Formats: sequence, C-alpha cells, structure tokens
Amino acid sequence: MLLRVGALTLVAACAGFADGKDTLTPAARQLNADSFEYVWKTVRDKHWDPKLGGLDWQAVHDELRAKLDKSTTMEEARQTMRAMLERLKQTHFGIVAAEAYEELDSPGSREGNPGIDVRILAGQAVVTSVDADSPAAARGVKPGWQIVRVDGKELAPALGRIQESFAKSTLLDLIQSRAVTSRLAGAAGTPVTVDFVNGAGEPVALKLDRARPRGVMARLGHLPPMYFWAESRALRPDIGYVRFDIFFEPEQLMKTVQAALQSCRECRGFVIDLRGNPGGIGGLAMGLAGWFTDRQGLQLGNMYLRDNTVKFAVFPRPEPFRGPLAILVDGCSASTSEIFAGGLKDLDRARIFGTRTAGAALPSVFERLPNGDGFQYAIANYISQGGKPLEGIGVIPDEEVKLGRQALLAGQDPVVDAAVSWILKQKN
Amino acid sequence: MNRHFTGRNLALAAALLVTASGARLAAADDLPKAEAILDKFIDATGGKAAYQKHHNEMATGSMAVPANGISGSLTVYHAEPDKSYTEINIEGVGKIMDGTDGKVAWSLSAIQGPHVKEGVEKADALRSARFNAEVNWRDLYKQAQTTGLESVDGKDCYKVVLTPNEGNPVTHYYDKQSSLLMKTTATLKNPLGEFPVESMLSDYRKEGEILVPHKVSQKAAGQEYSITIDTVKYNVEIPKDRFDVPDEVKALLNKK
Repeated sequence: MLLRVGALTLVAACAGFADGKDTLTPAARQLNADSFEYVWKTVRDKHWDPKLGGLDWQAVHDELRAKLDKSTTMEEARQTMRAMLERLKQTHFGIVAAEAYEELDSPGSREGNPGIDVRILAGQAVVTSVDADSPAAARGVKPGWQIVRVDGKELAPALGRIQESFAKSTLLDLIQSRAVTSRLAGAAGTPVTVDFVNGAGEPVALKLDRARPRGVMARLGHLPPMYFWAESRALRPDIGYVRFDIFFEPEQLMKTVQAALQSCRECRGFVIDLRGNPGGIGGLAMGLAGWFTDRQGLQLGNMYLRDNTVKFAVFPRPEPFRGPLAILVDGCSASTSEIFAGGLKDLDRARIFGTRTAGAALPSVFERLPNGDGFQYAIANYISQGGKPLEGIGVIPDEEVKLGRQALLAGQDPVVDAAVSWILKQKN
Repeated sequence: MNRHFTGRNLALAAALLVTASGARLAAADDLPKAEAILDKFIDATGGKAAYQKHHNEMATGSMAVPANGISGSLTVYHAEPDKSYTEINIEGVGKIMDGTDGKVAWSLSAIQGPHVKEGVEKADALRSARFNAEVNWRDLYKQAQTTGLESVDGKDCYKVVLTPNEGNPVTHYYDKQSSLLMKTTATLKNPLGEFPVESMLSDYRKEGEILVPHKVSQKAAGQEYSITIDTVKYNVEIPKDRFDVPDEVKALLNKK
C-alpha cells in the first residue's frame, strides 16, 4: 500500500493565518532555529535530486540562517523558512502555520465560508457554484454572478498583481481563485460582506454568514484537517457522474464510486469531475483508476525517489466500467487529480475536458517541525505514463472547454455538456 | 511472533526503501555455518520444542509512520501450516488487509481495492505466512550461507544470506553474543516495483516460552515505519472463516 500523500500545499497554506506579531522568546527562537535546520537538512537529504538542480544549498542556508536569527516575530521566521523553500522553485514545498492545525479545531477558526466556489473568468472573479443549503444559496446568490469586492476591498487590484506575477505559470488559475476564496473565508458564524454584480448587471451587496464547509472533516497524520464530500448522480439516465472535493476518506470515496457504477452498469458513459480538486492521498489515483479498466499491468506513471522508483500501478476491480470515460479538469485540479487524469489520458482510457490543470503534482509528505509548524516537502518527481512530467506542465485536455459567465448565468455547464456530447457520439 | 511475518506487516504498509550496508568480511573459515547460527537462534529464543507446541497465534499492536503522524492498530492471525491474516486500521485511510489461506495470497484496502498476488510477490507472501518459519527454514530456503560479520547497533552480528526456492534472497543479522536476530534486509517485489527493505528488531520479551521482538522499525523510501507488538497469544480460538479469501478477492479470481 502506498501511504504517500499527494500534495495540498496551496490549500494548506491558505488555511494558516497566524498574525505572527508576538515577539519571540529565547525558547521560541531556538525552536525556530531547530526547525530551520530540520527543513534545510531534509531537503538536502531527501530531495529526489541530490544536486537540487545545481542550487548552492549551503549558500542558501548561510544566507537565510543569518536572516532567521534576526527574526523578531514568528511570522518573520516562518517567512524565512518559506523563502528557503521557494529557492527550489517547485511546488509542494511549504510551511503551514501551527495555527492552521489549532484553528481548524476551534470555534475561532477560518474554516467557515459562505458556500461559494469561484474561478477567474476573463479577469473577473465569478461564482461557479453555490452549495445547496449554504448561506449564499439562502440569499439567492447564483452561478455567474461576479464578485467585485469582499469586505469593502476591491478584488481587481489583487487579481491583477497575481496575473502579472504568474502570467506564464500553470498555477495562475489556482492562485487567483484561492486569493478570492481565502478572502471569503473566516470563522464560522461570522459575516462577510460581498459586492456582486448579478445576472442583470446590477450591483448586489450582501452580508453573508460563513458556515462550516460542506462535508465531513477528514484527517490523515500531520496534514491539516480537510473537509471531504463526494456526490454522484445521473447526468442523463444513461450517463453517470461523480464529483468529490478531495482525494481523502478512501472508504467513503470508493463507496460513492462503487454505488454510482453499480447503478450505471448499462450506462453509455461515465463522467468524473475533478474541477477544483486539489489532490490528496496519492495512492487513491491507482485505486480509483481500477474501477475503469480490467487490463492488468497498467500504470498511471512513475514516482522517482532518490533511491527508488515507485510505479503508480492500476489495480483493476472485479467489475470495472469499460465504457467511455470523461474526466473534467480545470486550473484548480492539482496533484492526485493530475496523476489520475493524466495517467488515464496517457493510457488512452479517458478523454479529458476543460482547461489545463495546475501542474502541481509532486508526491509529498507532511511533518511537524519543532516549532509546531507543518512542513510539506516533495519526496519524488513524477512522470506520467506518457513520458512527461506533470509538474509545471499539467494535464492538457483533449478538448479545451472554458467556462463563461453567460453560460453559468443560463444555468449551463459547457464542460459537462461537451463530455456528454462526446459520450453520446461513442459506439455502444 | 514469527520474525519473518513481522517484517511482512510493515512491507504491507508502505513503499519501501533500503539502506545498503557494507559487511565486514571475515574469512569464510572463521565463520560458523549458517545452519549452526540459525539453530542457535532457535535455542536462544526458546528451543524447537517450545515453537512446536504452538499451532497458531494472534498478535495485536500498532503501526506508525511517526514523522508523518500516521498511526493505526494492528491485528495479526497466523496458523499452521501457512495461513495468515493481517489487519491494519489507520485513521483517514481505513482498513488495510493482507492474507493467505495457503493457496491464494491477497491484499485488500479501500485505497487500492482487491489484489491477488502472483509470482515472486505470492512466493514471498506464502513464505512469510509459514507458521514457525524459524524451525522450518530448511523447507523455505534452498541455501543458507554465512557471508560475514557486521556491526548492528554496536553489536557484532553474523550476516546470513538465505536464498529461497523462489524470489529474492533475504539477509539476516544474528547477534554473535545473544544469537538473537537483530536485523533483516530484503528486496520486496510487488506491482509498485522492487523495494529494498531494512528492518531492525528489538525489545525481545518472552511470550510464553518464546522470546519475541516487540518492536520493529523499518526504513522505507526515506521514511521510517514502526511496529509495536502489545500482545501475543498462542493456540487461540480463531474464527473459522478468518483465513477465507474475501469476496472481493474471490470476484477477481473468478474473472481469471
């Protein structure tokens, strides 16, 4: 069994909001120094590339250790460690504030949100979905509405800055949408004021309550707790559909998929919607793929550790679905989502619809540092079965289909529609 | 607790990594024969007669990946001649099962689903499942050779390479002083690849008349995995269907 955990750096990073203004005690300074050394040595000893791409890691240490020693706040120390990891220029290396673990368990956490998902479409923050029974749904917020301001702050300048910084990065969509959702997040029960533009082009200002996220809180080791949900339905009587927010809770996820497939034995096709799915337990990509092939000996790709190569083997289930399979992705599909979608695309087992994925697919693990912060580090490179890395490239859809505000306002999902259209053209 | 089987439990739980070690070679003539070392180990842990009093065992404990904060409970059933069933429960992962009825070797988890072991993987599983493998090693390995003397945790250990009838050799390190097995190295093969494994055995304590290691730590893919055994019971009442092949695995077999 593979207990490696696919990465969630960006999600986790958004979960931590330490104010970091407390002056450090001598004991805290020492813990930060120990943490710094641990991070530095871990990368030196465990990164899959012993040469770190030619980076002078000792020089990085010497430069930033001096800076760390001058830190006067926890946040400064944390930023110095993050700066060290940023020199690697790779995803899945990060420091998660200790508060992210504590706050998620406490009433004062930032886990609450109004129940809105957002993407940046044509430079605008647009509501792409509204959770049923959420505060946003109760106040009539609809997909397609534009978000202009959150708590009085204009989104456009921040989105513009991210656009400039990440214009050439596959991470652009993910970082922009996170920038908006993190502004919407806060303690459950607290309000957030959102200025929308509705479908008629009219401004709508709403004070929305934040509620606990949809789903059940899932935990795995030192990963910050996450909320998991999975749903299935029939898009038509003869096309099944499964969507889940994260590759967690294996038993619940697999039960959902199994039930969906059992009720869809004679279906013409099946759709797995991974839009917005940031990944999770890497091994689940292998197990999930097994529901869609009966061919033995297949693999989604290879994980290259410093001393070993791990095959991401597919384990066929006894009664897999063999009909047309469509996988939906977007710029917020990352990590295990990319391993799954990219692998099945390379195996010519699925057709991919949507937009290019985040290109953030390095297998990683989480540890806790002496100072209590979480430390995520990639332990391997990953090459999809087609021979290309996913990191920095992502999964490029077979059919690029972009969401548009007008379609959302009309209650349409052009990505789902494209997948259905393709399935209906396939021979039974 | 069967030493071979203990190592298998960890192999079940993770992709594995090795740390290669250079043996301090001694002249072959200076070293005791492997047969003598293995017999001494049996004597040191209780003697052949003590082992042969047992026809099955049940062990409970825990397994963990301490650095990642992952931990879970562990239950192992093992019975003559070569039946085994291991169940690990990890929060956030669920139940991971692995077993054999002596004919079919399998694994089953929510993450990967059912899997029927074949080839070397099956041979390894059946060998690991052999009850009282310590006293029956001649049935399992076609060759046993002492190849050197090496320090393990500061103790001089005889290095014994055991070559099975099928599969990769296994190397055992026996303490020269106590004759106890201190370390094993092997290469496991499964659908995820070939993985060298290093297991350190410690905390030997008597369970009945037999000395049993209660801690095993394993290095795997840059991570360390640990098993702690809390209880070992022999000749227990084992549910009749304990070693039956699960329905999900049977469904796979029926397709073949």
